[in-house]
Amino acid sequence: MDLDTLLSFKWSVMAPEFIILGVATLLSLIDLFMKKESSRKPLAWLAGAGVLAALVAIFMQLDLEVTSILYDTYRLDSFSKAFKILLLLGTLLVLVLAASYKKEDIEENRGEFYYLLLSALLGAMMMASSADLITLFVGLELLSLSSYIMAGLERRNKRSNESAFKYVVSGGIATAITLFGISYVFGLTGETNLFMIAQNMQEPELLKHGFLLMFAFIIMFAGLTFKIAAAPLHMWAPDVYEGAPVPVTAFLSVVSKTAGFVILLRVIIITFIAAPGINSDNILLQVQPYIMALAAATMIIGNVTALRQRNIKRMFAYSSIAQAGYILVPFVSNSSLLFELIWFYLLAYLFMNIGAFTIIQILTAQEKSNDISIFRGLFKRSPWLAVPMTFFLLSLAGIPVTAGFVGKFGIFMGALGLEPAHYWLAAVMMATTLVSYLYYFNVIAVMFFRDGEGAKVSVPSGMAAILAFCAVSTIVLGVMPDLALDFFYGNFDINEFFMNIEAVDTHTH
Amino acid sequence: MLQMSWLIPLFPLLSFILLLLFRKSKSESTAWIGVLLTGLSLVMSVGVCLAVWQGEGIKTEGTWFQIGERAITMGFEVNPLNALMLVIVSLVSFLVHLYSKGYMHGDERFGVFFAYLGLFSFAMLGLVLSPNLLQLYMFWELVGLGSFLLIGFYYFKPEAKAAAKKAFVMTRIGDVGLFIGMVLLFWQVGSFEYDEIFATVKNGDISDGMLTLTALCIFVGAVGKSGQLPLHTWLPDAMEGPTPVSALIHAATMVAAGVYLVAAMYPLFQASEAALTVVAVVGGLTAIFAASIGLMQKDIKRVLAYSTVSQLGYMMLALGASGYVAGIFHLTTHAFFKALLFLAAGSVIHAVHTQNIEEMGGLWKKLRLTGPLFLIGALAISGVPLLSGFFSKDEILASTYADGKYGLFWLAVIAAFMTAFYMFRLFFLVFTGEARQEKKDGQKDVHESPSVMTFPMIVLGVLAVVAGYLNTTWFGTFLSDYLARGPVELPHGDHHGPVWIPLVATLASLLGIGLAYLIYQRGTLSRDWITRSFPGLSDVIYNKWYIDEGYDQTVVKGTTGLSKLGALFDRYVVEGLVTAVTTGVQRLGRIGSRLQNGQVQSYGTAAIFGIVILLLIVALTGGYFS
Repeated sequence: MDLDTLLSFKWSVMAPEFIILGVATLLSLIDLFMKKESSRKPLAWLAGAGVLAALVAIFMQLDLEVTSILYDTYRLDSFSKAFKILLLLGTLLVLVLAASYKKEDIEENRGEFYYLLLSALLGAMMMASSADLITLFVGLELLSLSSYIMAGLERRNKRSNESAFKYVVSGGIATAITLFGISYVFGLTGETNLFMIAQNMQEPELLKHGFLLMFAFIIMFAGLTFKIAAAPLHMWAPDVYEGAPVPVTAFLSVVSKTAGFVILLRVIIITFIAAPGINSDNILLQVQPYIMALAAATMIIGNVTALRQRNIKRMFAYSSIAQAGYILVPFVSNSSLLFELIWFYLLAYLFMNIGAFTIIQILTAQEKSNDISIFRGLFKRSPWLAVPMTFFLLSLAGIPVTAGFVGKFGIFMGALGLEPAHYWLAAVMMATTLVSYLYYFNVIAVMFFRDGEGAKVSVPSGMAAILAFCAVSTIVLGVMPDLALDFFYGNFDINEFFMNIEAVDTHTH
Repeated sequence: MLQMSWLIPLFPLLSFILLLLFRKSKSESTAWIGVLLTGLSLVMSVGVCLAVWQGEGIKTEGTWFQIGERAITMGFEVNPLNALMLVIVSLVSFLVHLYSKGYMHGDERFGVFFAYLGLFSFAMLGLVLSPNLLQLYMFWELVGLGSFLLIGFYYFKPEAKAAAKKAFVMTRIGDVGLFIGMVLLFWQVGSFEYDEIFATVKNGDISDGMLTLTALCIFVGAVGKSGQLPLHTWLPDAMEGPTPVSALIHAATMVAAGVYLVAAMYPLFQASEAALTVVAVVGGLTAIFAASIGLMQKDIKRVLAYSTVSQLGYMMLALGASGYVAGIFHLTTHAFFKALLFLAAGSVIHAVHTQNIEEMGGLWKKLRLTGPLFLIGALAISGVPLLSGFFSKDEILASTYADGKYGLFWLAVIAAFMTAFYMFRLFFLVFTGEARQEKKDGQKDVHESPSVMTFPMIVLGVLAVVAGYLNTTWFGTFLSDYLARGPVELPHGDHHGPVWIPLVATLASLLGIGLAYLIYQRGTLSRDWITRSFPGLSDVIYNKWYIDEGYDQTVVKGTTGLSKLGALFDRYVVEGLVTAVTTGVQRLGRIGSRLQNGQVQSYGTAAIFGIVILLLIVALTGGYFS
C-alpha cells in the first residue's frame, strides 16, 4: 500500500474514533504531569467532553453514505452509527457516574480509570465499525484488556482484585474459544473479510464440510457470548459485578454488553447468512434450535438464580444475564425486525440499568453494605430516589408505560410473528419474566413496605442529573416509543449492513 | 360530550398526582381533592352514558408507534358496554372515596391512601375506555400494580405484605395467558383493535382451533383477575387491605375487569362453542365451590370475599351460557350490593374493632343505619324477590337453563341456597342476639359511623334495591335494549325460561334464609328465652336440642362436610400445586447458586462442557457418526 492509496481514504469518517483516541492520549499525558495530590475530577470532565464531541461527530455523519476504508477493516454504515450512539451514550452516563464516585480507595487511581474507560470505548467502537475478523478481534481485545484493569481498579480492595482476576481468566478462556472458532472459519474460507467469507461460503467445495461449519459456528458463537454474559459463558458476571467498583459494573453491564451484541450481529449475520450447513441447508436455520436452547438457558438461569440473591449487585448481575437472554430471542427468531428490536431494547436497557446502578452506587456507598436491606423504607427516607428506582425496576420487569415494556413487547411479537412461530421460546420468555417479577418486586416492596432506619440520603448533583435523565427517558420511551423508533427508521437504513461496497471497489481497480 | 370522554380517567390520575405532592400535609381535607375529582369523573360518566343511551358512540384513535410496517394504535372508544362500566366504576369509586374520608380518619398515611385510590380508579377507567387489547392490557397491569399498593397498605402487618405480593403474582399468572392470547390474535388479525378482531372472526378467517386457543388464553387472564377457580386464592387474602379497598376491588374494579374482558371480547367467545363451555363450567364450579367455603368462615370480610368469588362465578356462568345481558346485569347489580355489604361491614368493624363474627352480636340496636342497610344488601345478594339480586340471578338461571346446561343450572340453584344461608348466618350473628364481646377497658361505646360513611351506604342501599328494575319482564328490558346497540350480537332475543325458574330461585333463597334463621336466630333466642322465663320447661329444651341436633346431624354436618371438603381442596390441591411450582423454582435457584461456587476453574469447566455438549448434540442429531 503506497502513500497515495493511504491518503485517498476518507479518513474523516473515523472522526469519532480519532476524537476518543486523541482525548485518551491527552488524558494519559495530563495525568502524568499532574500532581499526585490534586483531584482528577477535571480529567472526568475532559473525558466527558471528548465523548460528547464524538457523539456530535456521529450525528453529523448521519447523512453519510456507506463508506469503507482500509479494505473494509473500517466501515461506516447505518449499523455502526446506530450502535455507536448507544455505546457513546452509555459511556457518557458512566463517566458522570464515575465523576461522582466517592469511595476514597479509588482516589489515587482515578486518572487511569478515565483513559482506560475511553480505550475500552474505542475498542467497542471498532467492534461496531469493522467488517474484518482481525480488526474486530483487536477491538474486542482492546475492550477486554481495558475492562480487566478497570475491574481491579480498587487496588486495596480484595474483592476488586478477585473480581479482576476472575475476569481475566474467564475472558482468556472465552478469547481462546472465539479464536478457535475463527480459525475454523478462516481455514474453510481463507478470508478474514466478512463479506469475502460470506462469498466463499457459497463455494460448492464447502458443501462437504457442513459439520465443520456448524462446529465453527457454535464455537464462535459460544465464545462471543462471553461479553454479553449469556450461557454457557455467563458465570463470571456475578463475581465480577460484585467485586468491581459500581461505575465499572455499570460499564460492563451496559456498554460492554452492547458491544458484545454488536460483534455477534456483525460476525454471525454477515458471514453465515447464506452459508450451507449439514446437507447444505441454510446454517442459520439449522443452528436455530441450539441458539434457542442457549437463549432459554440464559433466561432461566438468570432469572431463577436472581431469586435467591440478597446481595443487590449479584442480583443485578443475574438480572443482566436474564436480560441478555431476552435480547437473544430476536436473534434466534431471525425476524426482519431484528436490528430495530435489539437496538431499541439495548437503548431501553441502557437507561434502566445505568439508572438502577446509579441508585445502587449511592446507597451502597452510604450504607457500606451490598445487602438488599439498604433499600428499606427508601420511599419514606428519599422519595426522589425511590420513585426513579421504581421506574427502573418496572422497566426491567417489563411493566407497561416503561421503555422495557415496549422493548419486551416487540421481542415477543417478533418471536410469535414468524412462520413457524417460536411458541416455546416465547413461553419460556413469559414464564421467566413472571419469575423476574418476584425479585424486582421484592425490591419495590422493601422500598415501599418497610420502615427504614437509615438516614436521609444525599445525592450528588451529577448523579441526580443521570437519574433524572434515565428516569424521564425510561418513561418517555415507554409512552412515546416512536421518538426512538422514528429516529431509527429515519436515519438508518439497515440494508447498508449487507452492502458489500469493498467488493465493488476491487472490481473497478 | 363524547369527544371529551377521555378526560374521565384523567381526573383520578390528577388526584393521584396532586395527593402524592401533598402527601406530607397533615390536614385530612386533602381527601376532598380525591372526592371532588372522582365526582367529576362520575358526572362525566353519567353524561356519556346518557348520550350513548340515545344511540351515540365514538371511537378515536391515532398511531402510538410503528414497528416495521405494523402500526400500533392508541385511543379511546365509547360503546354501550363500556359506558355502563364507566358509570359503575366511577360511582363506586366516588362513594368509596367519600366513605374512606371517615373510615381512614386518623391514619398516619391518610393522603397516600387517597393517592393510591386515585391511581387505581384511573387504571380501571382507562381499561374500560380502551379500544384495543394492547391498551387494555397496559391498564390491566396498572390495575394489578394499584391493587398491590392498596392491599399492602398496612405494610407493617406481615399478612398484608404477603397478601399484596400474592395478589400481584397470582393475577400475573393469568396475565401471561392474556398476553399470549393477545399476541396470537394479533398475528391472526394484524391488529389489536376489537373491531378488526371481530370482523376477522366473523369472516371466518381464523381456524377453529386457533379461535378456541386464543379465547381460552384470554379467559385465563380473566380467571386470574376475577378470582375464578383455580386462581382465586389471592382474593380472600386480599382482605388484608383496608375495608374501603375491599369494596372497591371486589365490587366494581379489579375483579370486574375479568368479567368485563370476557364481555368485551364476547364475539370471539361466541365463535367457539368449546371456549364458551369452559367459561360456563369454570364459572359454575367457582360459584358453588366458593359459596360452600363461605358457609364456615368466621371473619366477616372473608365471608364476603368468598361470596364475591361465588358471584363472579355466576357472571362467568351467565356469559358462558350465552347469557351476555344476564352476565352484565349481574355485574351491575352485584357492584351495588357488594359495595354496600363491604362498606356496611367496614362500618361494623369501625364500631366494634374486630372482624370475628363470633365476637359480634346484637348490633342491630346500636347501629341504626348500618343494620338495615346491611339487611338490604343481604336480601339483595340472597335473591329475595323485588330486590336487584333477584332479577339478575333469575336471568342467569334462565339463560343457563335455556342454553341446555341443566347440570350447571342446578349447581347454580344450590349455590343460591348457600348464598342465602351464609349471608343470613352473617346477618343474624352480627346484628341479632346479645353482644358477645366483652368490652375492653377504655374502649368507647359502640356507635354509628359518621355521616360521611353512612351517606355512601344509603346511596348504594337505594341502588341495591332499584337496580334490578333495569331489566325485568314486567317493566321493560331497558338494559338488553341498550346493550343490543353495542358491537355484540345478542345470542337469544328473549330467553325468559319457564315460569317455575323464578319460583325455584325464590324457594332456594328463602330456604337458605329460613335455615339460617332456625339455627342462628331462633336457636339462640329460644335458649335464652327458656333459661330466663321458663326454667322448668325441660321438654321444650329437649325438643329444641333435638331439633338442633337434627340440624346438626343432617344439614349442618352436611354443609360443614361440604365446606371442609372445599377448604381441603383449596388447601391441599390448589395451594399444593402453587407451592409445588414455587418450591420447584426455588430448588432450581439453589442448584444454580451452588454451581456458582466462586471457583473460576469451575466456571471455565462449565463453559467448555456446555460447548462440548452442544457440539455432541449437533453431531448426534446431524448424523455425523452414522
